[in-house]
Amino acid sequence: MTKKTVLVACGTAVATSTVVATAIVEAMGDRGIDVETRQCKATEVPSMLDGVDLIVSTTPLPPNLPKPAIVTLAFLTGIGRDAEINRIADILRA
Amino acid sequence: MHGLPFIHVREDNVDALLSGLKAVIDDLGATVLLPIMIFIIGVVLGAKPGKAFRAGVTIGVAFIGINLVIGLMWTNLSDVAQAIATNTGVKRDVVDVGWPSSAAIAFGSQVGLWVIPIGIAVNVVLLLAGWTRTLNVDVWNFWHFAFVGSLVTAATGSLPYGLAAAALMAALSLFFADWSAKPVQAFYGLPGVSVPHLLSAQILPIAILTNWLIERIPGLRDIDLSTDHIQKRLGVAGEPVILGLIIGLVLGLVGFWNPADIPGMTAKVLKAGINLAAVMLLLPRMVKILMEGLIPVSEAAREFVQKRAGDRQINIGLDSAILIGHPAAISSALLLVPIAIILSIILPGNRVILFADLAVIPFVVALAAPIVRGNVLRMVIIGTITLTIGFYIAGALAPLFTSAAGSAGFKMPANASQITAIGDGFVWIGFVVVKLFSGLGWLGALIVAALIAICMWLLKVRAAAMEALASASPEKATQSNGRRVSA
Repeated sequence: MTKKTVLVACGTAVATSTVVATAIVEAMGDRGIDVETRQCKATEVPSMLDGVDLIVSTTPLPPNLPKPAIVTLAFLTGIGRDAEINRIADILRA
Repeated sequence: MHGLPFIHVREDNVDALLSGLKAVIDDLGATVLLPIMIFIIGVVLGAKPGKAFRAGVTIGVAFIGINLVIGLMWTNLSDVAQAIATNTGVKRDVVDVGWPSSAAIAFGSQVGLWVIPIGIAVNVVLLLAGWTRTLNVDVWNFWHFAFVGSLVTAATGSLPYGLAAAALMAALSLFFADWSAKPVQAFYGLPGVSVPHLLSAQILPIAILTNWLIERIPGLRDIDLSTDHIQKRLGVAGEPVILGLIIGLVLGLVGFWNPADIPGMTAKVLKAGINLAAVMLLLPRMVKILMEGLIPVSEAAREFVQKRAGDRQINIGLDSAILIGHPAAISSALLLVPIAIILSIILPGNRVILFADLAVIPFVVALAAPIVRGNVLRMVIIGTITLTIGFYIAGALAPLFTSAAGSAGFKMPANASQITAIGDGFVWIGFVVVKLFSGLGWLGALIVAALIAICMWLLKVRAAAMEALASASPEKATQSNGRRVSA
């Protein structure tokens, strides 16, 4: 399977998106999915979409994005985390 | 006769040993001490030793990276600030070095070494006592508490005062999180979440008061600015690297304006632009490494506290970064960027020149949105007032900010002016706490503790009234188009 790219967005591209990006790489690695993450601020998402397979954000995203996008707090709160990981894995395997 | 000199020698030896140890510890600084501390905290909280070790090393590396960028940046920004001063005669000698610098200073300070166990302990105690409903899993943002603590230590020369201040700030942030929880959950659509974030929370009292005033001004109270087209038009400027370039070019033009030497001026202006663009991109990247190192510890801390919090209904306290994507926060923050620059020029007695933290304004205004139901005009007015207060706070705190940076081991460039940042140099809470501690000592600490306790108690016994203060009242919320008859 080719390497998938996940764009992880939050308010700063520093704090919460780093938590999410680290969690995604780890969880997808466990499932044998090879992922690379990039981080950005939510406002930067439209100009960062080249080669991106999925967007995961902890904060609302601009409307009408041409790529699949998930807005979730599960990686920060720990609640519903496994469900989100499965959802992400399904999208990346598709 | 025989023993006396021997004892003296021994005392000298002990003194020498202690001062030697202190010198070694001071010399090691954040790049070595913090990794050791993070490793210990991680293991105590139940992280795997291997992970905790790697986390500690990562944090040490992050500090080295941050130091590299900060040295470069502070020199460049100081140059531009000085050029503006000589070219315009306007004295703006306090340079905004950005919140990533503040976070690094805070975690790199002596208070920063202890802030994670302190923050967790305060949270667990207040949760078990039923004084808060927020479980703050946002360990990263404990830097705000450490930051206030390190300012207090810089002001008083006392580490215990700094640690006490940090503990009190951890408690205060929980109060603000509880107070704003319902409005934040309703407006931002985030069930089960609250935001214990001091930089964002400081606007709450200002927003409540200002909104109350606006409600009483005919004409003004009827205007509701929609967000969509503002965000579309200004969207690209919301990218930090472009924003940095533009601000750098504009400030460079002001500083290096010289019609007699167009080529020389152009070169300097372009350099100022690209330098600030570099700051906006590089500094957060370096701080990201710090964040990566904290993750195993913060995950372990989250599990540790969640286990002990039991089954009661609690809100998970998160970074206000989760609010920043909302159009109301983005739009009002973009409008506030030029306003902030104008304020820095026209405010009488202001000494602060803004650079790196113009990108952090969404955090300043985000918690005002539920109070004004996302009305961008009101958010801009409230933001303007908050920033205006902030400029004077920042000027007053700049000497402490600068000395805290020095004692956290950051090398100040030779020509450096004083430094500040919107996060958290502009925060009135820190100023009040520093003044109380430095003026009254432990009595000041007691006053801060009493005020926080009163706030928490009011929220317990007068929950409905307190929550109504922090949110738009129900009948207003049902108005669909933002226009409404006078109350």
